[in-house]
Amino acid sequence: MQKGSAGYTMPAERSVGMDHSHYPYSPLPTRAALTWPSGKSLAMGALVLLEHYEWDPPPDAYSLRNSSGGLIKLPAPDYVQLTHREYGHRVGVFRLLDTLERHGIPVTVAVDKLTAVHYPWLIDHLMQRGCELVGHGVAASQLITSKLSEEDEAEIITDCLDTLEKLSGNRPSGWFSPEGVESSRTPELLAAAGVNYVCDWPNDEQPYKMTTPVGDLVSLPLFLEVDDEFALWHRRASLASWEGMIVSAATRLHVDGQTSARHMMLTLRPWLTGQPFRIRTLDRALSQVTQLDGVWAAHGNDIVKAFSES
Amino acid sequence: MALPPHRVDYLPMADRPKISWPDEAKVALWIAPNIEHYEYLPPRDPRRNPWPRSPHPEVQGYSHRDYGNRVGFWRMLDVLDEYGVRCTASTNLAVFEHYPDIGKAMTERGWEIMSHGIYNTRYLSSLTEEEEREFYVDCVDTLRRHTGQELKGMLGPAVSNTVRTPDLMAEAGLIYHADWLHDDQPIPINVDNGPLVSVPYSIELNDVPVFLHHHDTAEFVEMVKAQFDTLYEEGETSGRVMALALHPYLMGMPHRIQGLEEILDYLLGHDAIWQTTASEIAEHFIEHHYQEFVEHAEGISGVHDAS
Repeated sequence: MQKGSAGYTMPAERSVGMDHSHYPYSPLPTRAALTWPSGKSLAMGALVLLEHYEWDPPPDAYSLRNSSGGLIKLPAPDYVQLTHREYGHRVGVFRLLDTLERHGIPVTVAVDKLTAVHYPWLIDHLMQRGCELVGHGVAASQLITSKLSEEDEAEIITDCLDTLEKLSGNRPSGWFSPEGVESSRTPELLAAAGVNYVCDWPNDEQPYKMTTPVGDLVSLPLFLEVDDEFALWHRRASLASWEGMIVSAATRLHVDGQTSARHMMLTLRPWLTGQPFRIRTLDRALSQVTQLDGVWAAHGNDIVKAFSES
Repeated sequence: MALPPHRVDYLPMADRPKISWPDEAKVALWIAPNIEHYEYLPPRDPRRNPWPRSPHPEVQGYSHRDYGNRVGFWRMLDVLDEYGVRCTASTNLAVFEHYPDIGKAMTERGWEIMSHGIYNTRYLSSLTEEEEREFYVDCVDTLRRHTGQELKGMLGPAVSNTVRTPDLMAEAGLIYHADWLHDDQPIPINVDNGPLVSVPYSIELNDVPVFLHHHDTAEFVEMVKAQFDTLYEEGETSGRVMALALHPYLMGMPHRIQGLEEILDYLLGHDAIWQTTASEIAEHFIEHHYQEFVEHAEGISGVHDAS
């Protein structure tokens, strides 16, 4: 290591592996071959997000600086952004559910606490349709970050899980943090709360094990590049381009998965892909993906279970 | 939505009374050119800078939009005339004073004028309750003075609002608010003295975000067609609303105008549409469906006691 000036603050220890202890480095080609039930090469899942944005979030709450939806960042009350997001709960979610069901894809739904509390009809509806619910924090306007105390973070996690258990009858085994934002404590606090899998780390094509001082959990990565918000909102991909991304990713994963099985979790927002003009693109993409021979469509917890048992 | 300020009750599309449009139309289509004036030297608003690119004046941004009133509007008008479109013009009402030629062209054609405030650089978000009340009086008077029309609805100036906006609009006699993007059907808005309903507008099927975010005309045309196809299919079961939001400074450009022709060709080529105005959609809904929607929502909404 170079001995530089006093202002040079590069870490002195550059040790092999990750710069955190959540999981070890694991290059995919060196892993034991993963197999899915019935020898399918690609597990396909859909994570639908029901995110609640508050009109008047608590003053100390943290939300994304460039959260999606609406037009531009407007002074409160930003009817445009808030009602654009609300469209998902009122209208868009049903288009997504109908479309995914038509293609035989079981739906996993991340639900935050305020959605559950304020849309009880919707929770009943999701349960009647056989959706798997996963925890999703309190609200998209109250993110889990390192600015929270450990106590407050643990409270958000258990509050969400308790609420979903009470209103749906099932305690979720999975978790996706609001906006995918975590603190450095989150995996440990999730494990402590009994969560079995987490979707916050989009870094792999297979599930993998995370370790924490209080127990293990599984990371089930989402596919960030084809995430509807990432592709369509932030990168402003055209509809045809998004359709192409989904289909070519699935096609390639399906081939590569014949050596060691892969999974693909599509992240879908009802306010975004549930819009009338976008739903047709998803429909077209899924028509092509589900024609691939050897696709296993599954809930998040089934993929995790198959991984844990393989 | 159920959370404060309690303006809207939850009513899922999957469980609603049926909407019937006149002549069994599946889709009520309203086309909304935004006829705007952005001020050259707007007063400083502490909460929102209309021209953030440079100290004012920001001549380039100003001119880009001014092009709409000088050139783009007239090119668009030819196309809209060709297709016989009855527009709902989302209008900064000072346009009637600054550009009487435009005001005359709109009134001659029997367009409905929807308030889009006075100027697109004067935001509601910074007004006190009394100031906002005066604002509606100004809007109602200005429109009446220049057209004889009674003002029925508003898209907030540059989509700005206050928490009081729906109450004060209804108090001024308006019956619809276009700032709610939460639905594909009109929805009752809870106000002190109503009725007030939302009429679905769009910031997706809207040339501003589409073109400012680098999509080309062909993509916009595809989006509009796909939107229509879905709503037309769904409208078989219960009537839907589709809004097409346009700005002459964008859609009236020479390289885009053909896209508008393609769009109108496609939309107006379908039989079961009701090409109408926002106030006619609101009036029809209030007369035939409002009460049923309110009652149905009462059976669905409600906050669970999660304690």
